[in-house]
Formats: sequence, structure tokens, C-alpha cells
Amino acid sequence: MRRAVGIGGLRRKEAERQALSRKGNELAQREIEKLQEQISLMKDNLEDFVREHQKDIRNNPVFRVQVQRMCQLIGVDPLASRKGYMAELLGVGDFYCELGIQIIDICVATRSMNGGLMDLDELRQRLIRKRLKGSEPVVEDDIRRAINQLKPLRGGYRIVTFGKRKMVQSVAREMNPDQSTMLTLAEYTSKFNIEDVRVAFGWDEDRIHSCIDDMLRSGIIWIDSHNDAHPEYWVPAFFSQLSGGSFGNRG
Amino acid sequence: MTSPVSAVVDASTASFQFPEIYSFPPFFTRQPNEATWKEQRRQWCDLILAYYRHNRLFSMSLAEAVTEPPFANRQIHRALRVDVLREIVDELVKQGHASWTGARNSKDSCLLFWRKPEVWASMIHQWANDRGMLNTVLTLFELASGDDTIGQEFHGLDSTTLRKALDILQSQGKAQLFVGTSDEDLGVKFFT
Repeated sequence: MRRAVGIGGLRRKEAERQALSRKGNELAQREIEKLQEQISLMKDNLEDFVREHQKDIRNNPVFRVQVQRMCQLIGVDPLASRKGYMAELLGVGDFYCELGIQIIDICVATRSMNGGLMDLDELRQRLIRKRLKGSEPVVEDDIRRAINQLKPLRGGYRIVTFGKRKMVQSVAREMNPDQSTMLTLAEYTSKFNIEDVRVAFGWDEDRIHSCIDDMLRSGIIWIDSHNDAHPEYWVPAFFSQLSGGSFGNRG
Repeated sequence: MTSPVSAVVDASTASFQFPEIYSFPPFFTRQPNEATWKEQRRQWCDLILAYYRHNRLFSMSLAEAVTEPPFANRQIHRALRVDVLREIVDELVKQGHASWTGARNSKDSCLLFWRKPEVWASMIHQWANDRGMLNTVLTLFELASGDDTIGQEFHGLDSTTLRKALDILQSQGKAQLFVGTSDEDLGVKFFT
């Protein structure tokens, strides 16, 4: 008897467990459905919201970034993709497409000046000047997004940092670590000399010269032989930022 | 935005706005990299033409020029070397914006055409046409320095450039030059 009761009890318990689990699944399912419903409602609302504030999104960069964050949180990216349904709805995908083209334009036009290296903020100021008529302000976040969109083109567009300086690089060839290290010396003064490099990093002559030659060849640095025995090397991309950025006539 | 280096260098250049690159010290050293040098040379050509036009200067003696703006920037204590300037002028000559003067191949001095002689030519012909000066003999002195041309852009044009412009008109059949006792006596008659 005890065994039978035991078995029956176990079976009963098992049945209860299964019933509970069924119920649980059912509840979870219902919960998920409800959530999905809410999310889709939210998407709808967001869509309405974006549609309603389309003009603000285009014209107000702070607002644009906030809308973007909000959309990302729930897995919608209305502004980043040109093909996205919301992008089509809004025409805001064009914003980044257009910005990307303008970035390429500026980088190509100034490449012979700066070796394909440009201060991010200078690029931003040039973009704003270039876009005067439409008057949609551009912020750093916009540039990052536009540059991300350029990736498939394999043009080598990326944002790199030297110390505190954020720079946009627009050539496919990567800078080697020595070059990047050397450039940090020019972060504040826009220039360095061989002695600076020796003192800062303790490199030997060969290493210093081969690095400098590489950068001269790629146009990232310019030589100033005013003092013939001790030439100085200048980074135009850094210098232009110092002077508020209308370096070179083009772009 | 700050502008750390004032563009104003001295009285004669008071209102000329130097480009940003004018305060970039390596701008005054010839860059070893060919692509960079081409860009640098282009910027120098632009600067020279703009500066000479602004100050209505027509000729340049290279050795003297490098001691003054735009080839010397006293604020950053940099100056272009004569041999580098010579290379730049060579490029201007190639573009038709300059021509070497003085002893053959010495390349010590040049004329600068911030307007090409063809442009001066049509400007002068236009003026003669507008003022009813066709078929009238005028001296070159009258053209460049006479009261009638005051206010015209070609007023004050140096005699060599003026002569070049008139030669062009003559070759087009729009003018006839008459030899006088000196260059300033030289006469010209314009036709339609």
C-alpha cells in the first residue's frame, strides 16, 4: 500500500508539476505576446513620433542623437540605414548618405595637404561650412555614423586617436605603431624633432629616420629645414586645428 | 575660432588676407615628397598671383622678392629660398601666368600675369570700342597712364605687359602698332 500510495503520489505530483509547467508556459507565452504587443505599439508610437518630429530630427542634432539612442534601445534604427522602413518613411537615411559623400569630398580634396589625416573637429567645421544652405548642424556622432556607413567602400575611412586628439583618417594604409607613437609628440605643438623622439622613446637613429621618412612620403608630416642641422617635422592635420581650420583653399 | 597669426605684415600689405598656410613654417621649405610639393607649389602659385594682383605688381626680381612678403614671413621668421621660388615661377610660366625677363636663362626676374595678356588685350579693346576710340591713334603712354583710362583695370599696366597685349590684338587684326622714337611714343590704332 505504502508503495502504491507512494507511486500514486509521485504520479499526482508529476501531473501537478506538468500542469503547473503548462500553465507557466502559457503564462510566459502570454507575457511574451503582451510584450511583443507593447513593443510593436511602442514602435508604432515611435514611428508616429519620428514622423511628427521629422523636421526637428533633421535640424536639431541633440534631438537627433536622443531619438537615435531611444530607437536603438528597442532595436529600431530608423536613421542609420537608408533601406530601413523608417528611413524610407522619413528620408533621414539620406542625411547620412549625403554626409558621407561630403566627408569623402573634403578628405579627398585635402589629402595632398595632410596625407589623409584630418582633425575630427576641423572636418566637422568644414562640413558645416559646406552645408551652409541647408543649415542642418552636424555633430560628432553624425560623422561617426556617416563614416561607419562608408565602411563597405573600403576607402579606409576611420576615426583614430592620438592622445586626446580625434582624427579622421581617409587612406587605406594603416599607420604603424611607431608612426602613431611619434605623432603623439606633436599633439599640442603640431611639431617634433629628432631629439624629441630620442628623448621620449629612446629609439635609435635608424628607427627614427625610417619612421620619419615613411610619414614624409605619405604626406602626413612636412619638413621645416629653417634650421638645417635640426629640421622640425610638422603635422598639418594638427596645425590646421590650431588655427581654427581653414587650411588649404579647397574643400 | 582663434587666428593666432595675424595676416597683416606691414603697411603695404595691410589689407591683404594671407591664407592659413602662410603661417605654417614648413610652407617655406620645399617638401621632398612629390605629391606634397605639387600641392605646396600650387598654393604658392595661388598666393603669388593673389598678392601681386592685390598690390597691382607686375614684375618680380627674385633675389629681392624673397626678402619681403609674401615670400618672407617675418612673424614666423621664415623665408622661401631663391632656388625654390625659381621652381615655382617656372610653374607659373608653364601656366602662362608669368614670363622670364632679363638675361637669357638667368631666371632672375620675371613678369607676372595675374591676368593673362589675352585678357588684358580684350579688356583694352573693349574700352577702345566703348569710348569710340577705334581708328584713332593713341600712344601707349596715353593708354597706360592717360586721364582717359583712369579707373580702368589696365590703367598703370607695365609697358612690357601692355605691349604683349597689344601684340596679341595686332595678330588678331584688331590693332596696328606704330613705331615711335621710344617705347612710350609707340602708337596704336584699334579696329573692330
